[in-house]
Amino acid sequence: MDWNLLLGQATVNGLIVGLLYLLMAVGFTLVFGVMRMVNFAHGEFYMLGGFVAYALVVKLAVPFLLAVALSFVITTVIGSLLEWLILKPLRKDELNGMIVTIGLALILQNLALMMFGADPVSLPSIAVGTSTLLGVAVANSRLYVVAFAIVVLALLYVFLRHSRMGRGLRAVVEDSETASIQGVRARFYYPLGFGIGVGLAAVGGALMAPLFSVSPFMGQTPLLKAFMVVILGGLGSIPGAAIAGLCLGLLESYSSLFLSSSTADMLIFVLVIVGMLAFPRGLIGRGEA
Amino acid sequence: MEHMEHPRLGSLRVAPSPLEGAHLAAQQSWFRGRSRMASSAALGLAAVGILCAAWPWSAGQFVLHLAILTCINIVIVNGLSLIDRCGQLSFGHSAPVALGAYGAVLFSSAWGLGTISAAALALIVAGGVACLLGWVILRLRGVYFVLVTFAFAELVRLVLLDAVSVTGGANGIAAIPPLSIGGFAFDTRERFYGLALVLAVASVGFMVWLFSRPLGRAMTAVAANPALAESTGLNVLRLQIVAYMGGSALGALGGVLTARYIGFVSPESFNTSTSVAFITMLVIGGRKSLYGPLLGALVLTPLPELFRGAVQTQHIFYGAALILILRFLPGGIASILSAKIPPETAK
Repeated sequence: MDWNLLLGQATVNGLIVGLLYLLMAVGFTLVFGVMRMVNFAHGEFYMLGGFVAYALVVKLAVPFLLAVALSFVITTVIGSLLEWLILKPLRKDELNGMIVTIGLALILQNLALMMFGADPVSLPSIAVGTSTLLGVAVANSRLYVVAFAIVVLALLYVFLRHSRMGRGLRAVVEDSETASIQGVRARFYYPLGFGIGVGLAAVGGALMAPLFSVSPFMGQTPLLKAFMVVILGGLGSIPGAAIAGLCLGLLESYSSLFLSSSTADMLIFVLVIVGMLAFPRGLIGRGEA
Repeated sequence: MEHMEHPRLGSLRVAPSPLEGAHLAAQQSWFRGRSRMASSAALGLAAVGILCAAWPWSAGQFVLHLAILTCINIVIVNGLSLIDRCGQLSFGHSAPVALGAYGAVLFSSAWGLGTISAAALALIVAGGVACLLGWVILRLRGVYFVLVTFAFAELVRLVLLDAVSVTGGANGIAAIPPLSIGGFAFDTRERFYGLALVLAVASVGFMVWLFSRPLGRAMTAVAANPALAESTGLNVLRLQIVAYMGGSALGALGGVLTARYIGFVSPESFNTSTSVAFITMLVIGGRKSLYGPLLGALVLTPLPELFRGAVQTQHIFYGAALILILRFLPGGIASILSAKIPPETAK
């Protein structure tokens, strides 16, 4: 067996999965930072992104990139509206807010089941052929996904760092009262923060749709992984979520070389528990709970 | 357990914390208001309750089936409520239920234990797991605890799916023999309903009893303000571990009953939506009331029959009910029924 090849493949797969976890976890942690609310419907917005991309690409023949962008916009708008309509009275109410998002998740998932049925659907591959990277053959479609995900994250970074809105959002995450005193309109940033957070999940869903399949239940596993990632990285910490997401993806991919996937899942759970004991506020970031 | 709490009880009585004092005052005024009409109303209520509880025996197999499931859910949701009343919401309550169900079946099939001793052993195992896990994860507050219990329940499901040689994997275990005590088998719905009813009533009684005692009061204080409770000398971690063990044991008891009644267990009976269903029952019934789990299970267990063949509609209804209840009726159904809600519980 050629270990170089295997390790190379595992690295690429790990990066792809890690980027997916990253997109999920960054959005999840952003929502938590703004709303102080664990969003159990996050996986459902991931699913929504997948279905929007599917509908646009397969039914309306929209180019894939445009479909990903549109799925972000559509989900952000839907998310903001839902925040404004449903979650508004429960902002900052950790437990009740969380239960409401469970309700939201139930509704979204079952609406998707009624509309699209339980059978997974798939998108056509976005590119053909393979490229050779450092001696490892990688499918082009996977490379594109990695590239797109990195672009999305770079855009997010620029937005949060350098735009007026992004700075306002970060101020609300930091301390919404002080932000309000400084003239940041918190009531505008709650829906925006929630919308962008779930929009990132939708981008994840749309980007991964050609690689994996699209089904009403597709959001469950990424949601669970996002939990793990934010626990490791510290809730509310975006850099923590980013690093932990990539690490988790790579770790899973490497461990799948030696172990069955459920054994690997169990080991990672134990790891998370141990990590949490040793670093109760997150391994990497400065978590706030 | 009681002797353990006695020294603390003394100190609490001498100098009750403001919180405890408020609770006592509210409780006392409530009792005074109650006592005027108490005897006749309580008698009437008890009579109605007994009639309702006896009705399924005369209403045919289908109603009996629903009544049994309701009783099992009452036991399980009471366990969840016990953990919640000590300040932690478990989002993995399917895990102890699964441990109970699989434990009871596997202990008797693998080691030839009787159904009762296997069930008792399963409860002990579930409590022990909760003790070890709780010792680690109950240090976490709020959201972190919720996330970890969720992940743990998924882990339990994965283990059950993975250990094919022991648990049968995704196929589960079928043809589980009924529970029997000294040769008396609970093999018909009529008999099993009697058992489930007794256990459901006992679990509600246990909760009412526990939370009228110093230990239960201490748990309430921990839930209301852990830091304040700790500063009045309560050991928050230990109280939460006790509550977590008790809640998990109740969940496991529900699991034992489910496995023995249905006669079939599979990992899919204990997935996330099961945990969500328990939380839904608790919230809709009323998280702050001791009768919340009872009411929630009573209302929500028969509900799927209204939506038969339309599982999705049922789940959407669940979701909408959760959102609407939290928005407009945070005390759940229990707060409609009790005319007087102490203000601090109606948060």
